[in-house]
Amino acid sequence: MPRAPFPELSSSVRLKYVKLGYQYLVNNFVAFLLIPVMIAVSLVLVRRGPDEIMALWHSLQLDLTQVLFSVFLLVFVAAVYFVSRPRPVYLVDYACFKPPTTCRVPFATFMEHAWLINWDEKSVQFQTRILERSGLGEETCLPPASHYIPPNPTMEASRAEAQLVIFSAIDDLLKKTGLWPKNIDILVVNCSLFSPTPSLSSMIINKYELRSNIRSFNLSGMGCSAGLISIDLARDLLQVHPRSNALVISTEIITPNSYTGNQRSMLLPNCLFRMGAAAILLSNRRRDARRAKYRLLHVVRTHKGADDRAYRCVYQEEDAEGHTGISLSKNLMAIAGEALKSNITTIGPLVLPMSEQLLFFLTLVGRKLINHKWKPYVPDFKLAFEHFCIHAGGRAVIDELQNNLQLTAEHVEASRMTLHRFGNTSSSSLWYELSYIESKGRMRRGHRVWQIGFGSGFKCNSAVWKCLRTVETLVDGPWADCINRCPVDIPDVVKP
Amino acid sequence: MDLLWTISTILLLCSLLSILWKGFDRRRNRSCYLLDFVCYKPSDDRKLSSELCSDIIVRNKRLSVPDYKFLLKVVVNSGISEDTYGPRSIIEGREECPTHDDCVDEVDDCMYRTLDELFLRTSISPIDVDVLVVNVSMFAPSPSLTSRIVNRYRMREDVKNFSLAGMGCSASPIAIDLVNNIFKTRKRTLAVVVTSESIAPNWYYGTDKSMMLGNCLFRSGGCSFMLTNDPSLKHRAKMSLKCLVRAHIGANDDAYSCAIQKEDDEGRVGFHLSKSLPKAAVRAFAENLQRLAPKVLPVGELALYVLRGFRHWLWRSKEAKTDAATAAMVNFKSGVDHFCLHTGGAAVIDAVGRALGLTKYDVEPARMTLHRWGNTSASSLWYVLGYMEAKKRLRRKDRVLMLSFGAGFKCNSCLWEVLRDLNDGGAWEDCIRAYPPQTLVNPFMEKFGWVKEA
Repeated sequence: MPRAPFPELSSSVRLKYVKLGYQYLVNNFVAFLLIPVMIAVSLVLVRRGPDEIMALWHSLQLDLTQVLFSVFLLVFVAAVYFVSRPRPVYLVDYACFKPPTTCRVPFATFMEHAWLINWDEKSVQFQTRILERSGLGEETCLPPASHYIPPNPTMEASRAEAQLVIFSAIDDLLKKTGLWPKNIDILVVNCSLFSPTPSLSSMIINKYELRSNIRSFNLSGMGCSAGLISIDLARDLLQVHPRSNALVISTEIITPNSYTGNQRSMLLPNCLFRMGAAAILLSNRRRDARRAKYRLLHVVRTHKGADDRAYRCVYQEEDAEGHTGISLSKNLMAIAGEALKSNITTIGPLVLPMSEQLLFFLTLVGRKLINHKWKPYVPDFKLAFEHFCIHAGGRAVIDELQNNLQLTAEHVEASRMTLHRFGNTSSSSLWYELSYIESKGRMRRGHRVWQIGFGSGFKCNSAVWKCLRTVETLVDGPWADCINRCPVDIPDVVKP
Repeated sequence: MDLLWTISTILLLCSLLSILWKGFDRRRNRSCYLLDFVCYKPSDDRKLSSELCSDIIVRNKRLSVPDYKFLLKVVVNSGISEDTYGPRSIIEGREECPTHDDCVDEVDDCMYRTLDELFLRTSISPIDVDVLVVNVSMFAPSPSLTSRIVNRYRMREDVKNFSLAGMGCSASPIAIDLVNNIFKTRKRTLAVVVTSESIAPNWYYGTDKSMMLGNCLFRSGGCSFMLTNDPSLKHRAKMSLKCLVRAHIGANDDAYSCAIQKEDDEGRVGFHLSKSLPKAAVRAFAENLQRLAPKVLPVGELALYVLRGFRHWLWRSKEAKTDAATAAMVNFKSGVDHFCLHTGGAAVIDAVGRALGLTKYDVEPARMTLHRWGNTSASSLWYVLGYMEAKKRLRRKDRVLMLSFGAGFKCNSCLWEVLRDLNDGGAWEDCIRAYPPQTLVNPFMEKFGWVKEA
């Protein structure tokens, strides 16, 4: 796990100001270079006097055609430059599913059900301990079928849950954006653990009567980071098809996946996964630029599957009694840290200011050539981003990332509160977190957001968004009724 | 000033050149070449003879005698030979309770065997793969099947992988569409696509007739193929993609629910095929052809079609103008030389053949694929293509149309142009000489002939 550089010295106040000064200098290098030149030129001009300047201008003897030609040329070169840039991808709006209170699973309910379904005392105690330390609150929700004793994981119930969460989110999004379903050009759906035939994308096409020439894709099995994979795919499609929009649905269907055995590594998902869905509208149309909330800057995907340890750390298998479940290995945090490091090496140069990149580069060179005992420099990502949405995979994941990236409590507040209020909603958690930040009125024009997702495989995916207009504090949305209570203090161990 | 003039002219020329270069570059990147494809040939101990099928059916004690007769009739009349393959778990008697490992092993065997051979034949290392797409409709474990491949072949960290599921028998063109779109956004990219189906976890052991057909017709199969948009690999490529059309009529409720995975009245999950499936297929087919025809047919044929339609309208013919009849008014053979039809069943192949005005020679690859391999779902198109190649039918500049149907309801098609004379035997190597056989009638017809009396 990377540690802070020069820990003894950086606490010194004097060095902090030196570092600030260095950052200003490097990041605004071009300005610092140009300002003396501009001052020198203006001094020369002033000394010459206005009459001499007019005489100089007249002596150029520019005739009309030449002037027009030069102007035309400048416009032409500018046009070539603009045409050759990649198409911008805008996030017009998004909507998250707000579970009904009837689906609430307080700790007491969860533990009682666990006891009634599975009479093994050790398993129940284990799940209780996990739940107390999980960072989840009393308002997280499970789908109706999971409330049965024992749970009722039929295909019909799974489809019903899918319809409930997905259609609610889409209805919400259509209302917010005024989008007509027939105008949707691209549809990407990701749901890891439930993939019926016909797919969930076909289910959406059927319900909303989408066009027959729609480009739809249904991704499955791709884990909790699949939301960003869908965004990546939608982005690639939007680069190819002009004047199009894309509807991306990220969800996880819990109904078919409750584990009824006793193996501890497989009981963890039962405790953490909860119901949720998000519907996101992306567009590359110029007229949507005016009303869009965000612009997509970068998406970086990292897959550590080539490493056996990483590949096996989130693995679906059968236990000794034949119950299928997802087993989470003990070194999940270490692997997440390594995956994040790989992701950062790609995304760092794209987003970090020049000052941080230079420091990182110099430290790297120093370690290689001068003294390999120098601590590796961890770039300060707080300079590149104002907001962080870390996948609410579990308390340990958020703690680990807060440590790794040296973030403050406010930076990870959105993640912790999402985990507390909604639980681990898998790929849609990043959108609940973004909604939290907007509901708190913290999102301003020009702010940059970094969404980080982790998933089975082992994958670490990042997306960087830039806010295009100050988002007014949301009056509706999943946080409407509880935002004023947040942030809530979450004790290390909750004793119900 | 002359200097200003010269500089302006140079800048203008540079801008013009850069625009032209960008346009040319984009066109280069539009190409999608098929480097090679490998069809899966399971081991011979997995062959399903009619007798073995009968034994497996009889194991389901819930079925009545009329049910047995119905199923045997389907198996015997299906046009499927004694050499098709099934999953090991079903042959070994675990069809009602396959383990997770059974399901994973079934798909692994297909993926790894075909990929090993694909990398060997193309002499391309897995580390060079930029995009990986897997489509298996009815099985999506965690980690995904793409992750299994990334792990086994130690692929790069930045490989773009996509695992498609639930997209039915026509998922092959969907995977190609995905890769083609990515090709248009980056240069010199190499993509590997694996298409297969999972039968082991999807065996239906109830008594609903509409759900039993899947058991009788689906067989083990799969294909891995490699695509690229790198112009420097064009000389090694087999075919080049010309156009791709996807039609989805799921907006219509009947079409959406005509092929759907659901529980029967007793709670057992099966794949329901309803009686309105042919109608949905025809509608989706017509929808697809309407958009495909202008892209595929030569201008002359399109003009003729317009003229025929005009004459038809003028004389106000009293014949019912069905969508299939409209399709028959167009001669697709003027723009397409070979037809890869999805082997959904003998009836499907015949119906599509009639609609397109195809001869026995044209539908032979599809019928023979159904006979030799059964309905291998999304990968069936590749077995059909393999037959054509093994029979040395594919010559340079020939145009091949792949057409498939899938749950949802979808009809997807893509047109390829052959880049060089092809003659690999592939999965058909050892049996192509025996095709076409004298008769497609099931050799156990005598033994099971009593079902015809029912």
